[in-house]
Amino acid sequence: MKKFLITTGIVIFVLAFSMCHKADVFPDDGYDERMSGGQATVLDASSKAFTIGIEGLSARDERVHEIGDQVFDQTFVAPPSPIFTGLGPVYNNVSCVNCHRNDGEGIPTAGFANSGLLFRISQAGIDANGGPLAVPGYGTQIQDQAVLGAKPEANINISYTDLTITYPDGSTATLHKPLYVMQNPYLAINGSYMLSPRLAPPVVGLGLLENIPEQTILSYVDANDMNADGITGKANYVYNPYTGKKEVGRFGLKANTSTLLTQIATAYQQDMGVTSYVQKQESAYGQSQMNGIPGDVQPELVDSLLKYVLFYVKTLAVPARRDVTDPDVKAGQVIFNQLNCAGCHRQTIQTGVDVTLPQISNQRIHPYTDLLVHDMGDDLADNRPDFLATGREWRTQPLWGIGLLQKTTGTAYYLHDGRARTLEEAILWHDGEAKNGKEAFMQLSKADRDRLLRFLQSL
Amino acid sequence: MKRIFFITAAAIITCCAACHKATQQPGGTNDFAALEQSVITDFVNNTGLPQYANLVSAGVSLNSVVSTLNTNTTDANLLAAQNAWKNMRSTWEQCEGFLIGPVESLDYDPNTDTWPTDKTQMDSLLASTNPLQTDDVAALPQSLRGYHPIEYVLFGVGGSRTAASLTARERQYLVSLSADMLNNNIQPLYQSWASAPTNFAQSVTKAGAGSADYTKRLDFFLDVTGDNGMAGICNEVGSEKMYEPYVNKDSTITESPYSGFTLTDFKNNIIGAQNVYLGLNGGKGIKDLVAAKNKDLDNKIQAQFAAAVSAFANITVRYEVAIYTQRVQVQQLMTQLQSLKDILDNDLTDFLKQYVKD
Repeated sequence: MKKFLITTGIVIFVLAFSMCHKADVFPDDGYDERMSGGQATVLDASSKAFTIGIEGLSARDERVHEIGDQVFDQTFVAPPSPIFTGLGPVYNNVSCVNCHRNDGEGIPTAGFANSGLLFRISQAGIDANGGPLAVPGYGTQIQDQAVLGAKPEANINISYTDLTITYPDGSTATLHKPLYVMQNPYLAINGSYMLSPRLAPPVVGLGLLENIPEQTILSYVDANDMNADGITGKANYVYNPYTGKKEVGRFGLKANTSTLLTQIATAYQQDMGVTSYVQKQESAYGQSQMNGIPGDVQPELVDSLLKYVLFYVKTLAVPARRDVTDPDVKAGQVIFNQLNCAGCHRQTIQTGVDVTLPQISNQRIHPYTDLLVHDMGDDLADNRPDFLATGREWRTQPLWGIGLLQKTTGTAYYLHDGRARTLEEAILWHDGEAKNGKEAFMQLSKADRDRLLRFLQSL
Repeated sequence: MKRIFFITAAAIITCCAACHKATQQPGGTNDFAALEQSVITDFVNNTGLPQYANLVSAGVSLNSVVSTLNTNTTDANLLAAQNAWKNMRSTWEQCEGFLIGPVESLDYDPNTDTWPTDKTQMDSLLASTNPLQTDDVAALPQSLRGYHPIEYVLFGVGGSRTAASLTARERQYLVSLSADMLNNNIQPLYQSWASAPTNFAQSVTKAGAGSADYTKRLDFFLDVTGDNGMAGICNEVGSEKMYEPYVNKDSTITESPYSGFTLTDFKNNIIGAQNVYLGLNGGKGIKDLVAAKNKDLDNKIQAQFAAAVSAFANITVRYEVAIYTQRVQVQQLMTQLQSLKDILDNDLTDFLKQYVKD
């Protein structure tokens, strides 16, 4: 009898606990696939999802991150000014955040206070460092705004025409093909020139991308297409004006910048006309617009503030994925791999070791990029080489956070110049090395196409 | 055998009780959800919309007195315009207690209130022959539009403005600035809450129930508490706008350097945040949520708001002077604001994440 009682008691005890056991959703491989940035992930899906720092910073680092945040948002004004001086004489916008809205992407217009699209310009040939050849009087970027007393270099007129795409199943989609025309140049340009549109991209997870070992990036190169998937990929080696060396490019839409420090300092210099210890010369140096700011003192951005902005950008967390257990999202992920989208949009990469920041050190991340440049076909080509990237090549855009652009920007825009209004349009613009994937996408049923889009929205 | 029956029965009850998910916590989960909705609805109808309506009224008044000043440039009319600017500025600074939605996403804040002022370009503009009609001003860079350029023209450097010193171009700039502010920013801001296509008031009210902006109610509460809301403005005032002139001992980089209205700007910012917490016009505020579950935390937050607001009274001169002559009081105020920001950012945020589940 006693034995029976004990046995019954134990059975009921075990039953009680097993009934209360919540189903384990943690994947068998021990990794939670929502954590796109590993430890540097934030569980936030609001319009501010790109603006959140990584967890676990020291009190001092948090303070540095916070000051960097303030400077990132800060409007700069024309010199002389006692604070935040140095805007212009020519520029594209007055603060980082005016283009990187909510630390996300820009709006694809040019020349307005809220514009986030800028244009690079160059002539045929290369400069002494293998980069684009500057146009005399313009440099390598069109600054379409100027302080009073100076002239904008030019304006860019943007217009779109519709292109109808028909799927094998008879359904259609309309693409928006842009036409960019330079107008009102302040100085006549002798000969031909090449223009390249660049939409301000989101700035999350850049510390992680900078921490991917160079050999990892190089391991993705398949120059001779040994696996015959139509995808080759190329690392862009670029000149770093701060170190004076050629380094592997990671940042910029053609991977034409190697480090975050140079990327940020060059954005201040080229986009805002604000010089720093890294980029010491005004973008308009040698141009007549310099007369618009007599007596300007260089460098304009205090060293520590540049470093704070660098730290801020480096420590922005990546938003976690949503809806990862949704059956359609899971099916979409399978299709993503079947179509070999992951051939360029690499799902999982391990970052290198950085003892100063454990949250970005040795992390298993899901950036959906290989940081290589790929031939994307004629329709996306800017026909303007940038170091080793040809006029048809663009860097694989990281897809983490792409499903939140609608919230962070208000209206989502995709691709290097924001021409695609939906993810479907973005896929349909793919060509070149991505031609097979695009055509396979078009062969899918409407339901499967929607599943793939649902998956992308979960990123 | 009877004993076995009782043991088994007791165990089954334990099982069921253990697995029973609480649907009605003390205080009532459903009651709390209803309270969340009332706080949201009252925020929209009693705080957000009325504050923006006040801003429109203030903008209409400013426009009117500026027009009078333009046609009848007397010192009395200049003073009336200065007071109208101060009135509008006070309302706006209180509205900065909730910088959520279209005020940022549609750029009404940066279009009207960039900082620091761009004195170099304002002087260049006034010295030039560039056209200064309303449309021309609307197309100027953000730093040449809005509150501070109006302040610059109305008050002059060091508040030295007299009616006699106003040039025709300054008056034209002033008239256009005021019209640009009202027609292109303040009225559209109110409309962006009140009507289609954005209809942000409705979107907030529907938080967690089909709102495009807030999938969950918690998203709204965190937004209005965090960087865009109460904690954000406390941080901006305490760590940036007070701190920079204080640490640099530079009165030219204060918030409103021409009018000397800086300290009032700061105080109104904190009152704006307090309004969100307490609720306005008889409506419920976030305090009602906190008090329902953790009265101690509510007391703490209310006391810290009161301490911060009252610390302003310790500074008895303009902020432009206080950074030189009352540095202890300035430091004490910044410390109070930091404590307030920390409570909002940590304690209140943690509370919301713990209790707001929908």
